[in-house]
Amino acid sequence: MGHHTNDGPITESLEDYLETIYELIRDKQVARVKDIAKIRGVRMASVSPAMHRLRDLGLIVYNQREYIQLTPKGEQVARKVIAHHEILRRFLRDFLHVDKKIAEQDACQIEHHISDQTIDRLVRFFEFMDTCPLGSQVQEMFKNCSEVNPELPACMEECARYDAQMRLEHEQGNSLLSELEPGEKGKILHIKALGALRQRLIDMGLLPQTMVEVERVAPSGDPIWLKVRGFNISLRKQEANGILVERQATA
Amino acid sequence: MAAEKAVGKKIKIALAGNPNCGKTSLFNALTGTHQRVGNYPGITVEKKEGRYRDDDWEIEVIDLPGTYSLSSYSPEERIARRELLRDDIDVVVVVADSTNLERNLYLLVQVMELGANPVLALNMSDEAHAGGQRLDVELMSMLLGFPIVETVGHKGGGAKLLREAIRRAYDNPTHGERFSFGPQLERTVMRLAEKLAPLLPQPSPPPRWLAIKLLERDGELGQWLRDNVAESAGLFTDVEKEIEELEKFGRTDIILFIADNRYSFLSGLLREVRISEMRADSRATSDFVDAILCNRIVGLPIFFAAMYVLFWLTFTVGEWPMRLIESFFGYLGNTIGGLWPAGSESPLRSLLVDGVLAGVGGVLVFLPNIILLFFGLALMEDSGYMSRAAFLVDRFMHRFGLHGKSFVPMLTGFGCTVPGIMATRTLENERDRLTTMLVLPLMSCGARLPIYMLLIPAFFASRWQAPMLFLIYMTGIVLAVLLARLLRSTLLAGEDAPFVMELPPYRLPTLRAVAIKMGQRSWSYVRKAGTIILAISILMWVATSFPRAPERSVEQEPILAYEDDASRDLSYSLAGRMGKLLEPLTTMMGSDYRIATAMLGAFAAKEVFVAQLGIVFSLGEADETSTSLRETLRRHYTPLQAFAMMLFLLVATPCMATVAIMRKESGSWKWALLQFFGLTTIGWLLSVAVYQIGRLVIG
Ligand SMILES: Nc1nc2c(ncn2[C@@H]2O[C@H](COP(=O)(O)OP(=O)(O)OP(=O)(O)O)[C@@H](O)[C@H]2O)c(=O)[nH]1
Repeated sequence: MGHHTNDGPITESLEDYLETIYELIRDKQVARVKDIAKIRGVRMASVSPAMHRLRDLGLIVYNQREYIQLTPKGEQVARKVIAHHEILRRFLRDFLHVDKKIAEQDACQIEHHISDQTIDRLVRFFEFMDTCPLGSQVQEMFKNCSEVNPELPACMEECARYDAQMRLEHEQGNSLLSELEPGEKGKILHIKALGALRQRLIDMGLLPQTMVEVERVAPSGDPIWLKVRGFNISLRKQEANGILVERQATA
Repeated sequence: MAAEKAVGKKIKIALAGNPNCGKTSLFNALTGTHQRVGNYPGITVEKKEGRYRDDDWEIEVIDLPGTYSLSSYSPEERIARRELLRDDIDVVVVVADSTNLERNLYLLVQVMELGANPVLALNMSDEAHAGGQRLDVELMSMLLGFPIVETVGHKGGGAKLLREAIRRAYDNPTHGERFSFGPQLERTVMRLAEKLAPLLPQPSPPPRWLAIKLLERDGELGQWLRDNVAESAGLFTDVEKEIEELEKFGRTDIILFIADNRYSFLSGLLREVRISEMRADSRATSDFVDAILCNRIVGLPIFFAAMYVLFWLTFTVGEWPMRLIESFFGYLGNTIGGLWPAGSESPLRSLLVDGVLAGVGGVLVFLPNIILLFFGLALMEDSGYMSRAAFLVDRFMHRFGLHGKSFVPMLTGFGCTVPGIMATRTLENERDRLTTMLVLPLMSCGARLPIYMLLIPAFFASRWQAPMLFLIYMTGIVLAVLLARLLRSTLLAGEDAPFVMELPPYRLPTLRAVAIKMGQRSWSYVRKAGTIILAISILMWVATSFPRAPERSVEQEPILAYEDDASRDLSYSLAGRMGKLLEPLTTMMGSDYRIATAMLGAFAAKEVFVAQLGIVFSLGEADETSTSLRETLRRHYTPLQAFAMMLFLLVATPCMATVAIMRKESGSWKWALLQFFGLTTIGWLLSVAVYQIGRLVIG
């Protein structure tokens, strides 16, 4: 799809040229036809028509003899393409765990066709995954999932169940164990944590319906100290986030 | 005069149990001092074996790592169940803390699922009785089908009965027949087991257990099945179908459903056999102590005070036996040296005195410190305070990618790296433990102090001396923190192991248990001194003594005015030549071949650097207070060069004792060498950078 200017659409290849010019100016202060041709892997002669077109569109300043400069509008378009590239590459690599080289290639392809709205949502998605405590857990889960890494155990069913459970709980408005204050009691409703943590909690007898009491917290507020079934254990808040409880009235 | 009794039966048993259930105490009670401690190959998990005789039976005991369950999430669990699956294990003694039966018997249930032949030791029975719990042990034994004994591990109470029970279990083996899940799950397990049985190769784990683990989606066994059973694909679809069915029935997920089945069995069992429950206030004393020791305000100050006492004890009280050992080795050196005529140049004499005795003596002088430190640490562990300490400082340590339990080993590292590395045994998680061990040499140890004490006063005005020393120590700490973070995001990356740490009630440690623990660890230090360190000492001696410089002929003038025989010998030797070979590298950090040669000596032990410097500058015997050495150094180097030197000695080339202990504790040369070369590279880069940049700035 590409961008539109008053004089019609900028093609994919024009966008690539803009990107190259921008990067050349950024890294070497000047952009010469020679360098552009080299980077894009074409002959110098084939660069000229594109330069003329870009000039006509008001994106660059160009006359045969001199270095090429970006107009403010040109710079804006170039920046945008580069930003899209970055975002896409990060998504492909960090979230989908696509191989480095393929991520780079695909980002190059997609960057020209993606809408502003999708990019905007991708950025919000990154933010969400970074700030929401469950985000990192889900990322980790996906990475450790058999679909990505065939040597690991299956995980899809677990995710589906987890999802259903989460929705149910949100409606009921219960607390996370990490939100209880020292002295408060709660009844475990659900263990949201997955994998090793989940197994460990269950092995230690933290099952649904079990009563827990927050006895105290460490000097810095984390980890917390619990009384469960007559014994004491300590958990980091991060781990206590994985347990949903129903707060009990304190006597 | 009694002749050795003929050996009747030879059997093998394993001890399994939760952490802190008193398993080690019981193991000690059974085997006395007939124990061997090692590592499982390639990982940091401790392996303990022992044996005892019971009449004409000879019984070999394997102490499994303490675990809460037999899933495959931690190396301990995987090892415990791999050992339990060995078909030469005749009896499994499950040790349970009677004051906390539900959770402790959860492991018993899993041992029964495995089809092992169990005996149950209800340990801590003294505490349980005092707390008001009474059990009908006979009925319990009838219901479960195997012998059950009440024991008091640390006092050896019930050990005799336990030995009998083990023999009875051997003669009448059971295989967990008396355990069953609820009907729904049980039927599924049976159905799957029947399906599995004809497909399995020989030998393989019991089909019933495999079926359970498949339902739990156990990673390790899933992989095993894929590798070993041709028709596994269809099996997995079947398993998934069964899981779906069960989840619909149980209205929960399969892991919880199975756990719930186990706990239900246990609560049913306990309802039958528990005559009276523990009183709710039975832990009041321990809780009261915690209210003080783990108090939000005074908890940390108390902890630091305790640490201070521990180190005071270690290094101050350790002082005089240390002197004793030192003078003993000095005396031994003189005596052995005296066997040769005075002034003898016999290589054998030099090997014995300068190589073997100096090397081994240099390591053994730390033995008093180590014994005292391990005594203190064993006290902290056995009393239950260690986990409180971890609770108090975990936040701080976790920020740097470490664990609360890393704190004490790191602190120990300021005394000596070797016991610090050994003290990381309290860390249960492999990754946490490796990270801690790898960065530990950056805690500037006591042996490096003489180096700073020599160099700092030589090069810096007195008002800069204290800040300088502080700067060096801080650099080490900051580097350790950075390196820990780096390791946790590269080589040792991965989700944090769950920090779910039990805080057992305070218990009065017994001298016997503490002594055994201390003894084993100290002994493993001594053994290192006798083997690897001895070998390296001899190598280092060879390197610094050979080839010998030819006799100086009369007409030959000394090349350098100040050069004496000792320094000529050293520079002619392998070490001297290596020093020269390394000179291009040390030049970049501002030092010459003399320093390089002395640094090679620092590999033997850090403080040897000072003595070596004395030799290369022909000043004879030198220590860190030697003013002539300081003078000479000042003439040859600038403060900047001296600083770069100290940085290098702080960070690079952990000493040979560290390399040896690292190899042992991490279970492989890989980590020891990685640490050695990694730190050396970092140290070199750092001192080169400091020197080069410093030169530009100072001009
Ligand atoms: N009162 C009482 N204390 C015991 C008993 N058995 C062991 N202890 C104490 O409990 C503490 C822990 O015992 P250990 O034998 O080290 O426990 P463990 O299960 O080996 O613990 P880890 O080494 O952490 O796996 C020590 O202080 C023992 O003296 C017992 O039967 N009764």
